[in-house]
Amino acid sequence: MTRSLIDLRPVYVIGIGWHRYQNPSETPYVPLGLTAIRAALADARIEWPAVESTYVATALLGMAAGRPMLRHLGATGAPLMHVENASASGSTAFRHACIEVASGISDVALAVGVDKRNPVRRPETGIGHLAEDAIVPFTHFALLTNEYAVRHNASAEDIALVAVKNHRNGAKNPNAQRQQERSLDEVLGGKRVSGSLTSLQCTPIGEGAAAVIVASEEGIRRYGIDAGRAIRTTASVGRSERVYPPGAGFDAALTKETAELALAQAKLTPKDLDIIELHDAFTVEELHYIESIGLCPDGHGVRMLRDGALDIGGQCAVNPSGGLIAMGHPIGPTGIGQIGEIVLQLRGEAGARQHRDARAGLAHMVGVGAVCYVHILQR
Amino acid sequence: MYPAKPLKPGLYSVAAIDRDGAPPRLKGGRCRCGHVFFPMQAYGCERCGSHGDALTPCELSASGTLLAEATVHLHADKNRPAPFTIVKVALDDGPVIRTLLADDSAPVTPGQRMTGRLVAVGQSESGETVLDLRFSRAS
Repeated sequence: MTRSLIDLRPVYVIGIGWHRYQNPSETPYVPLGLTAIRAALADARIEWPAVESTYVATALLGMAAGRPMLRHLGATGAPLMHVENASASGSTAFRHACIEVASGISDVALAVGVDKRNPVRRPETGIGHLAEDAIVPFTHFALLTNEYAVRHNASAEDIALVAVKNHRNGAKNPNAQRQQERSLDEVLGGKRVSGSLTSLQCTPIGEGAAAVIVASEEGIRRYGIDAGRAIRTTASVGRSERVYPPGAGFDAALTKETAELALAQAKLTPKDLDIIELHDAFTVEELHYIESIGLCPDGHGVRMLRDGALDIGGQCAVNPSGGLIAMGHPIGPTGIGQIGEIVLQLRGEAGARQHRDARAGLAHMVGVGAVCYVHILQR
Repeated sequence: MYPAKPLKPGLYSVAAIDRDGAPPRLKGGRCRCGHVFFPMQAYGCERCGSHGDALTPCELSASGTLLAEATVHLHADKNRPAPFTIVKVALDDGPVIRTLLADDSAPVTPGQRMTGRLVAVGQSESGETVLDLRFSRAS
């Protein structure tokens, strides 16, 4: 019989760290990654040799980027592996670090995401296509925006409210790539990208790093870690796309089934969630995914946005970090940075963007292909 | 008639070129399990995993209903200068495809009927007119 993470040894996040997400620069990836890892070690108050295993999430750096970075922490000989899973690379690395600790193979493991903005190279399958070369991600989501708007009678202004909220949150996040509040007029008046999407409704792909250290109870005891700041991972689910009925949006359908499994593992309902960090690379995605996760019925997302229910201090703070739209989406780090934000919120250490009395948070990423990863953390 | 050749002969039927005005047919496939897909491939069925003889070519009508449209304002590839419009069409025969809206199509909104046709998109080195599939609002 197979088991879920919750049935194995408890796993806790004990350290988090970032290198700020930023516009592409001349800085090599090595110092970006090292900054995040050293911040996570300092946060956990442990030394590098305590880390028994490392998962390096990166999509755009090229083969075997980990060792040339990690060796500068002191080469301990501990195992390392690289994880590429498109936008969900970081979430996948986190899942496997958790599984390694939960299984008892390690007591302390690191998931680190680091990336630079490099050209994306997709594999050649040998199967032809009509015009897929003309349909980059922002057009995929521009099409979904058009469908959502028609099906639910939502206006371009309604959907753009997601960006207004997430830019407002990002303005309070020192690790965000975009740290500026934006009015609805600014969002709608920006450069037109595809369909009704404007540039401030699209993630600004940049560079950066995020690191999360996980540990077992034995590891927490061994290194004298403050158990009061440790946040347990109570669910971890990864799924990939199936065949859905013609016309069904696969991103939302995949999110729905993945989130349902994760909530069941954690024995929570959507109403129990205080924090959600989700894949809002484009505004319409946030509406799709909060509805798929079950915060509200299909088509009611705009009403929640308008009512402030998704704000910090509302019913459930969605993307308090600023999300992919404002915090940014350097690919490899993104899913790990989401975990870090939820940990800050559950510890009560999120400062100006603290959501009151946060006890349960859900992290969600989709990746081209398509894959979906959902984690739940609780204090 | 001028000599003409399709840009992507693996995806739509060339017979249409000889019959002026006849709608092209899309080269899809059907699995023994009933799953209909586009384009034809022999690697294996996405629904059930069957391969080999289980997958047979199946021509699909180039007509359907519009699910969504997006006019692209920014596109990095200089071979395809923006603006252009992408349409997502649920074919009457089952699969959902995404392709280009014909430049001369009337404006479209979801729910409308759409049809595909071959339109001239350039000239080959040997002087043939190169045709590619575009969808437009059904008249």
